[in-house]
Amino acid sequence: MKVNLFALSVSLLLAACASQGQKSADIEQRDLFDQQQAQRQQDVDKQAKITQEQEELKRQLDEQQRRQQAQNDQAIIKPLPGTGVGGSQLKGDAWTQLKEPGSPLAKRSVYYEYDRYDIKEEYVPIVEAHSKFLMDHADLKITVQGNCDDRGSREYNLALGQRRANSVKHAMVLLGVADKQIETVSFGAEKPAALGQDEDSWAKNRRADIVYPNEPQ
Amino acid sequence: MSYSNLPIRRFLLHRPRFFGASLAVVVLLCAFVNSSFAAGLAIEIIGGGANQIPITVVPFAGEDRFTQRMSQIISADLQRSGLFKLASIGSVRPLPSEPADINYRYWKSEGTETMVIGTVVEKTDGHAEVRFRMMDIAKQSQVLGFSYTVTVPQLRMTAHKIADLIYERLTGDPGVFATKICYVTKGDKRFELQVADADGFNSDFILAHREPIISPQWSPDGTRIAYVSFERRKPIVFVHNLLDGTRTVLANYEGSNSAPSWAPDGSKLAIVLTKDGTSNLYLIGADGSGLVRLTSNQSIDTEPSFSPDGKTILFTSDRAGSPQIYRMRADGQGEVERMTYEGSYNVTPRYSPDGKSFIFIHRNEGHFNVAMQEIASRQMQILTAGGLDQSPTFAPNGKMILYASEIKGRGILAAVSSDGRIKQRITAQSGDIREPAWGPLPNNRRKE
Repeated sequence: MKVNLFALSVSLLLAACASQGQKSADIEQRDLFDQQQAQRQQDVDKQAKITQEQEELKRQLDEQQRRQQAQNDQAIIKPLPGTGVGGSQLKGDAWTQLKEPGSPLAKRSVYYEYDRYDIKEEYVPIVEAHSKFLMDHADLKITVQGNCDDRGSREYNLALGQRRANSVKHAMVLLGVADKQIETVSFGAEKPAALGQDEDSWAKNRRADIVYPNEPQ
Repeated sequence: MSYSNLPIRRFLLHRPRFFGASLAVVVLLCAFVNSSFAAGLAIEIIGGGANQIPITVVPFAGEDRFTQRMSQIISADLQRSGLFKLASIGSVRPLPSEPADINYRYWKSEGTETMVIGTVVEKTDGHAEVRFRMMDIAKQSQVLGFSYTVTVPQLRMTAHKIADLIYERLTGDPGVFATKICYVTKGDKRFELQVADADGFNSDFILAHREPIISPQWSPDGTRIAYVSFERRKPIVFVHNLLDGTRTVLANYEGSNSAPSWAPDGSKLAIVLTKDGTSNLYLIGADGSGLVRLTSNQSIDTEPSFSPDGKTILFTSDRAGSPQIYRMRADGQGEVERMTYEGSYNVTPRYSPDGKSFIFIHRNEGHFNVAMQEIASRQMQILTAGGLDQSPTFAPNGKMILYASEIKGRGILAAVSSDGRIKQRITAQSGDIREPAWGPLPNNRRKE
């Protein structure tokens, strides 16, 4: 019985604490709200002050510029960003476009089934994206490098790698890319991306890589 | 006591004194010996012929004055072939070195049938004279007897020549101990095309590059090696002259250039080019002139192998959907004949030196093994039990086949007798070893 009483008193105490906690939390929350309000007002005031200062600074700068212009009596030439002419500016944009994360252009490898060289459905968007890109930039050239896993014959794999590279080129030419923009080469089983002797590694090695030789790293 | 009961250390042969590459060949007599090799290539013998020929090789008188001990090299050669049972020389002393010294009654009581004896005498100017005799103990007569005067570094090759003579007399086939092999080693970002004696000694590279080297092939006279190098970022065929170290580009056309195979007269090669689309076979002069197209279709045609008579070419093609082996006339005329029908992956055909059969890589339930097929009967036999065998090459006597294999992801060379009974494993000290090609018999060499 003594034990039960003790247990009861403990649970009551706990309940009291809980309600006390709830209460203080409410108070705390109100306080926070007030503080937030105060903070917000402070921020608004601060921002207004900054804007005022900036406007003053701008006015001063404009005034200075006007004075300087009047002094020099020279035209101000201002470059317009993003509409540059000339190869380098355009190329720079092209390289950026190629590296756009999430874009199919950022993907450069087409993977194949064992002893196959037909392009699987899931890699068609990559081939299409690069084809469109090459048609938009007719001065660019690519190399398609065919690769194989290292089982079987090195020479047969070299031939198979060539077929894989050719399959990508063929698809691109059908889509309208100029033949002379695409060079194909086979590395056979000689340049594995993965070195293991297991299906995961072999699958990584059965691929054609689209390489832009002049692309900045 | 037979040699197989002796400790392994006994068979640690001496390191060659020339060439930078440090090598030692260890001949192990048991497949399951766990031993750490000193350096270089190690040859391990697994299994042996059913009926081994007993032979006693007596240490040559005076041989211990030289680093290259004649009797040890001869014994190791014969042992490695798997066809001989090398008998102990017992405890009787002095050992015979001339026929007159032989106590025939004693050796006959020891069960000796054939005995090899000899002497090595130092001459002036770094030369040595080797005399050897092979004796028939029962008939008390000499079977073979030759003498050689050679420079001291040539003693090793002289021992191989003696082993060749013994082998030929006792088996009826030419010996291949005095031949050369080549292979590619892959180290850390470095590929080397190595040339070595058939026992792995005296290896040295003739080409080193960070880009891969594949498909080396000896010219029939043994003076040149054709190979495919990726050093210009694409496969190009070179012909490398071993006598003067020079080389020429044999084929550098648009696309891939690969798979050289010498015609038996050495005047031209069959190669594979993709300049007209997919891989097709072409003939080209050994100087790169006179390119002629042999096959023209949209399938893969590759890995040509000239028949020893030069009249036909075996090759790999996927024209029927899966890679199989075909035969065509070397002039490109006539019908192409399919040779393999078992399985869906048969590649890398190589004619046997007698032209009656060919070896190739056959895929069987996911395993890639060396197989041999007799041309007349179409009988096929799988010779190896590895999983990833590649690039088989016949010894020039047709009795052994050297090929690339792997153990625990590491490239090794292995050899198997053409009857599948004798097996050897050859490992490099470090790195991968691959793409072997066995050179021709020494007497194929012609002066140019």
